[in-house]
Amino acid sequence: MRLHSLTLRNFRGVADRTVRLPALGTTVVVGDNEVGKSSLVEAFGLVFDLPDDSKSTRIRDIQPVGQDVGPEVTAELTLGGRELTYTKRWLKNRSTELTIVEPDGRRQSWTGREAHNEAERLFHQHVDPVLWQTLMVSQGQSLVLPTPADAEPLITAVTAESGTPVDGASMPLVTAVEHEYLRYWTRGGRATGDFARSEKAVVAAELTEAQALKAMEEVQQDIRRAERLALDLEDVSGRLTDHLGTVEDLRERKKATDEILLRRDAVRHRAETARARLENHTRTRVERERLLDEVDRFTKADAELTERRIDAETVARTAAETLHAAEAALAEVVELKDARRTDVQEAERRVSELMDRAELDRLLGQQSELVDVRARIAAAGTILDRIKVDDALVAALEDAHAAVVEARAALAAGVPEVSVRRLGAEPVELSGTGLDCPAGTVPAELGFDESAELLVSGELVLGVPGQVEVTVRAGGEAATLRSRVDEAVRREKDLLKKAGVKDVAAAREVLRKADTATAELHEARRTERSLTAGGDPGERIAVLTARLGVGADDEAEGEETSKQPAVEGVPGQMSLFEEFASPHDTLFEDFEPPASEPDDLSGAQRVLEEARDGLAEAERLLRDAEFAAAQARKAADEDRSEAQNARARSEIAAERLAAAIEALEAARSVLDDDAVAAAESAATAEVEAVLEELTAVQEQVDEAGADQVAGELADALAVAGRLHSERDTLRDALRTTEGRLEQSGRDGLATRRDLAEFESAAVRAEHESLRRRADAARRVFETLSRHRAEAQTKYSEPLQSRIEALGRSVYGPSFRVWLDDDLAVSERELDGARLPVEALSTGAQEQLAIITRLAISHLVSTGEGSVPVIFDDALGWSDKARLRDIGALLGRAGDHGQIIILTCMPDRYEYVPKATFIKLDG
Amino acid sequence: MEESITFLHSSDWQLGMMRRFLGPDGQARWGQARLDAVARIGDVATSSGAAFVVVTGDVFEHNQVERQTILRACEALKRIPVPVVLLPGNHDALEPGSLWTSAQWQAHAPDHVTVLTDTTPLEIVPGVEIVGAPWRSRRPLSDPAAPGYADLQPAAPGVTRILLAHGQLTSLSGGMSDVPTIDQAALEAAVADGRVQYVGLGDRHSTTRVTERIWFAGTQEVTSPEEDAPGNVLEVTIRAGAIEVEPVRVGAWHMVDHRVELFDEESLQALENWFAELPEKERTYVRLAGDGSLPLPLHSRLDMIIDAQGEVFASVERWAKFWTVRPAPDAADLDALQLSGPARAAMEELRQALAAGDEGAGAALSLMHRLARDAG
Repeated sequence: MRLHSLTLRNFRGVADRTVRLPALGTTVVVGDNEVGKSSLVEAFGLVFDLPDDSKSTRIRDIQPVGQDVGPEVTAELTLGGRELTYTKRWLKNRSTELTIVEPDGRRQSWTGREAHNEAERLFHQHVDPVLWQTLMVSQGQSLVLPTPADAEPLITAVTAESGTPVDGASMPLVTAVEHEYLRYWTRGGRATGDFARSEKAVVAAELTEAQALKAMEEVQQDIRRAERLALDLEDVSGRLTDHLGTVEDLRERKKATDEILLRRDAVRHRAETARARLENHTRTRVERERLLDEVDRFTKADAELTERRIDAETVARTAAETLHAAEAALAEVVELKDARRTDVQEAERRVSELMDRAELDRLLGQQSELVDVRARIAAAGTILDRIKVDDALVAALEDAHAAVVEARAALAAGVPEVSVRRLGAEPVELSGTGLDCPAGTVPAELGFDESAELLVSGELVLGVPGQVEVTVRAGGEAATLRSRVDEAVRREKDLLKKAGVKDVAAAREVLRKADTATAELHEARRTERSLTAGGDPGERIAVLTARLGVGADDEAEGEETSKQPAVEGVPGQMSLFEEFASPHDTLFEDFEPPASEPDDLSGAQRVLEEARDGLAEAERLLRDAEFAAAQARKAADEDRSEAQNARARSEIAAERLAAAIEALEAARSVLDDDAVAAAESAATAEVEAVLEELTAVQEQVDEAGADQVAGELADALAVAGRLHSERDTLRDALRTTEGRLEQSGRDGLATRRDLAEFESAAVRAEHESLRRRADAARRVFETLSRHRAEAQTKYSEPLQSRIEALGRSVYGPSFRVWLDDDLAVSERELDGARLPVEALSTGAQEQLAIITRLAISHLVSTGEGSVPVIFDDALGWSDKARLRDIGALLGRAGDHGQIIILTCMPDRYEYVPKATFIKLDG
Repeated sequence: MEESITFLHSSDWQLGMMRRFLGPDGQARWGQARLDAVARIGDVATSSGAAFVVVTGDVFEHNQVERQTILRACEALKRIPVPVVLLPGNHDALEPGSLWTSAQWQAHAPDHVTVLTDTTPLEIVPGVEIVGAPWRSRRPLSDPAAPGYADLQPAAPGVTRILLAHGQLTSLSGGMSDVPTIDQAALEAAVADGRVQYVGLGDRHSTTRVTERIWFAGTQEVTSPEEDAPGNVLEVTIRAGAIEVEPVRVGAWHMVDHRVELFDEESLQALENWFAELPEKERTYVRLAGDGSLPLPLHSRLDMIIDAQGEVFASVERWAKFWTVRPAPDAADLDALQLSGPARAAMEELRQALAAGDEGAGAALSLMHRLARDAG
């Protein structure tokens, strides 16, 4: 459908107005409030809804207030390819006119009710009411999100695009299936209602049934138990009766045998008495035999032990003697060893003395050498003290001499050098001051052909007497040069005087001598130091001298006296030597008598070695002797102890023998040996007699079986008692069981069980039936839901993708929406946040509503059933930024269909590109 | 012995029995019917001039039946105007805790009722001697009838002797019995040599003639569809060496097995007709065995038929063991519903699952079919 124009006359506040609308594109109808924008929409609805004779309040409402005029509406539109011009006037001068131009150009006109009917028919044929309602947004409804599922053109479009038929027609079935499902199950899938109750009932009934069954089972067990008990009881009772007969028989027999047993007891008693008496006599005899035997044995033992004691004492004595000899020998060896130790000590003392003497000799030599050296040191010191020249003085001397030479040279160069030669015979006299002659002293006169060369630093008077006198005077410089020469000469002289020499050469000579003396001094000092390195020999000499017991002077005499005691200091030596000389000849072969004690050290040392060997030998002899003595002591101890033991034993044996003899005598004094034997044989005879009698009685007892009867009776009574108690136990158990069964019968347990089973089966059957139905309902519900979900996903896709495409141009690429079963937007996601539409801001809801409508319009635009999208006063909730984007969308939507916007706020739509603005005036 | 003697032989009253397939209401009515049948035996006794009534075992369902059952049984027995002799059977054996020795029975048993507790012959009326072989345990170790006649000498001249026993005959039990059976040959021998003139047997619920003088009376009121001749009492007349045994119906109930094959509307109609023709529906239990497959609408109709008949009859049951009727939806069924889209797809899925042998899918499909039809 396309709307081309609407003309309103006498419609509410509008006297006469025609609005023309472009068939394609976005038209914004602008007008202030109350100028009749909404009336346009209202008028279009009324012209199709109500015939001209309608008395509806809707018609009366549109009549201008206070004017008796008929409101009139003319609509020009395209409907299903036909061009319609439809005019209707209500209330006054009612009329209806419809003109239709078919696509092929045929024109048809209707009037009156026919016109109304035809218009209505065409409208309903080509305009889906749901879609029309959906896309026409009247004032104040801009927030309502469209729910377009029942709009046939949309469904057709969606179906065409998705290829999936939408089950609009199946909705009652869906509801019915869901209803059926919910009869048995909750939405969460748990059993509910009768089904759940039946489940519980089954559990309860089965519990009751199990209890009843168990009770009945116990009854069955009781029956079996009672049967068994009855059988057992019968059996035991029978056996008991039989057994009691046996007991009676045994009682009778016992009575008969009791007399014989009594007799046997009497005989048995007598036999015991006789036997006791016999035992007594036998004991006496045995005791007597024992006494005799003891005396005999002890006598023999006593003799034997006495002999053994004598032997032992002999042995002990011998051992004591042996010990004594060994100890004497040991004492001698000890003495020998002491003598040898004294020898060693003497030899050591001698060696030490000889060594001290040798050292004393060496020290004395050293001391005289030291005296020489010290004399040389003193001599060299004297020389050195006398010499005053040293290296510095010689150097100063040499410098002073050089200064003299230098000063003279300067004088010679700086003063006139006058060469005088006497050629003639006339003497030539020379005088003057400040004259120097390099050749020597200035001659006072020159001989013939003598010449003198003079340096004049003062005044020279040269004259040949009488003939000529020449005075030569030196210039100003000459005097200075002269004084320098003099000064140098004076210094040299002072130094020579200080050195005590006549010239430099002498000084050098003296210096050389001093060096020689110094060297000698050093050498002598070194020698002194080496001699005194081991300390002052004097002290050591004093020590040694003291030790040797002589003064350094009477050394030889001291030596004599020290030898004497060394020889006489070993008194035992000679006796020991004598004692062992003979048997140990070879051992002492090299032993020299101390009288020939050598004076030399090596001889003394050899003597020491020999003395030490002697000591070692003596120590070895000592060890042997000690061992021998110890052995002898041990043997002596053992033998002595043995002898003591033997004596003790012998004494005990003697005592025992005495006691035995005494006991025997005592026994004999009571009853002699023969009497003892006689008494015993008498008792034996008595015993034999009684035993014979007892055997006879026992034979009678055995014959009567008397001994067994009592035992058998006791056994039989025990068995009877046991059977009794067994029977009583069984009878009690049976009575208890029967009592229980009686009670079970009264309780009607079998009936109860049957009833419980009956009930349980009924409940189970009902539950089973319910379960089958519930399962079927669930199966249908789940299967259908699954298929619907799949289909829904498919058919909502075209609309969803349109909405998202449009939305993204406003909100950016993160914009997504989800549709519900009715194709209404249920959720929106932006920047990852997914919200139900109810949670969105008012502005966002309004924008989403517009976007959704534009998307629907776009979907159906290609079909026959497309309708204009009309917004009456929308976008009141959107901010500027969104207005721009939505405006762009509205503009683009005009490319596919007819978009009509009614507003009093044209600035809301200033961003709609390519929009046609129509201004309504008041 | 010129005089004739007439008596009634019944057995297996099974008072206190429950039949779960009857449901609570059916059970109550059926239980009462068993007592009514006992009362009718009293009527038959009167009309036939019977001298006494013998009941050969299983008078009660259990030894531990509830008090109400015992008291009502006593009341029913009072409706029999002649002496009654009861024999303990396997259900009400003379075991420990037996009903017969209980205070409840002994306090209320009518005076004209005698319970055989041993094998001592009982002269019930002059010239008639009854010997019984009561069960002393639920599990006897040997032929339960043998003690009744083992020590008997031939009956004295002029004395009619009746043996009462309970148990299966070797010939009839097919060797399947787990308790010792009654030796038929020995029984026949006892009859042949004149030790007994009639043998009344119990345990088998169908009236059965074993020989001319050996009979199972059968139960007085049917207890199971398997029984082929229940609900009778035997009117026995012995006269001078001759015997006449006449079953007289006293039962009012029917229990029926019915086997159907269902595959089309016609077969379904046949079933409906069969139901319609049955008499005494309110006292009839039907156990249906069925096979075949039905299109969905017919299958739904079958369910409705059985459901409705269940209300009319005492009980109508599908015999689970022998019930294999399946829904068989065809494309036409589904097309007729004019379903489209997901609904159609869902139904098709269920149909294929059923075809593949998924039983659950059958029920689901039937339900969906019904819902779609009602919703459409």
